[in-house]
Amino acid sequence: MTDTETPFRRISVIQGETRVSDDPQVVMSTILGSCIAACLYDPDVKAGGLNHFLLAEPGQGDTDPRSMQRYGVYAMEVLINAILAKGASRHRLRARIYGGAAMHDGFRDIGGDNAAFARQFLRDERIALVGEDVGGRSARRVEFRAALGLARCRIVTDTMTPIPKPVRRPAPAPIGDVEFF
Amino acid sequence: MYQTSPMGKGVTVSRKIMTVDDSPSMRMLLRVALTDLGYEVVEAEDGVQALERFPDEEPDLLITDINMPRLDGFGLIEAVRGDDGNRNLPILVLTTESSDEKKARARAAGATGWIVKPFHPEKLAAAIRRVLH
Repeated sequence: MTDTETPFRRISVIQGETRVSDDPQVVMSTILGSCIAACLYDPDVKAGGLNHFLLAEPGQGDTDPRSMQRYGVYAMEVLINAILAKGASRHRLRARIYGGAAMHDGFRDIGGDNAAFARQFLRDERIALVGEDVGGRSARRVEFRAALGLARCRIVTDTMTPIPKPVRRPAPAPIGDVEFF
Repeated sequence: MYQTSPMGKGVTVSRKIMTVDDSPSMRMLLRVALTDLGYEVVEAEDGVQALERFPDEEPDLLITDINMPRLDGFGLIEAVRGDDGNRNLPILVLTTESSDEKKARARAAGATGWIVKPFHPEKLAAAIRRVLH
C-alpha cells in the first residue's frame, strides 16, 4: 500500500504537548515561534515522537535559569519515556530540533535560549543531533512522520498562517507535588 | 541540611542522599539542588548500579526515578526493601509519572513518598526534611 492510497492521519501538537507514534500514516505537525520542537526517532523499532515546549515567556518573569532547565528537562524526559515505552532504546535515538526564533523585539532572545537548552540537553544525554533548523526571526511549520523519522520544516509567512504568539504553558500538573504513603 | 549531633555543640554530620536516574541532566539538576541544601550526594544511573553502590555508600535517603533501563524504580525499591537493614530507609520516587496505578505499585513495593517532576526545589527540600529529620 502506498502513501497515496492511504490518507495520512494528521495530529496537531500544541505548546506543552508531546505525541509519539509507530504508525507510518501518522503525520505530526506543529507551528513554532520561539518555542522548540524536538523530534526523536528510533530507527530500529521505527517509532518516534515530537514535543513542543517553551522554557521562558516574554513578560512572564519566569526566567530563572534553573527553573527553565528543570522544565526543559521535564519536557524532554516525557518525550523520551513515551518513546521508550514503544520499545525504543535511548542510545539509538536520533534527534532533530526546530524553532527557537527571535519573535519579539525588545525582549531578550528567548528563542535562542530555548535552542541552546535543547542542544545542551542532547549533548548531556548523548543523543545524536542529526538535524536542526533553529533561530532566525520567522515562524516555522514542522511536520514529522515519527514512525519513519522523516521531518520537514518550512518557514511560515504572514500570508500563510498567523505567527504563533507565546501562550502561557500548560502546567504539567501537578508540578512537584509530593504525596506521602 | 546538616544535622546537629545528639550532643549539640555545633558538631554537624552531612546526610547522604543517593539519586537514581538514567538522565544525566536530571541527575545534575538534583545534584545542584541537594548540594545547595547541604546534603552529600551519590548517584546511580539505573537500579542495577544503585544496588551495586548501595552497600558501600549506605545512603540516608534514596531518591529514584521509575522509568530506567536494566532495573526500574519499582524493582530497585523491592530489592532495597528486601534487605531487613533497609526497613526504615526513606525512599522517595521522583518521576514524570502520576498515575494512581503506578503510585499504588510504588507504595506496595515500599516507597515512602512520590514526587512528580519537574521538582520544585522548596517542595523537594520540605519532603526531604520530613523523611530525614
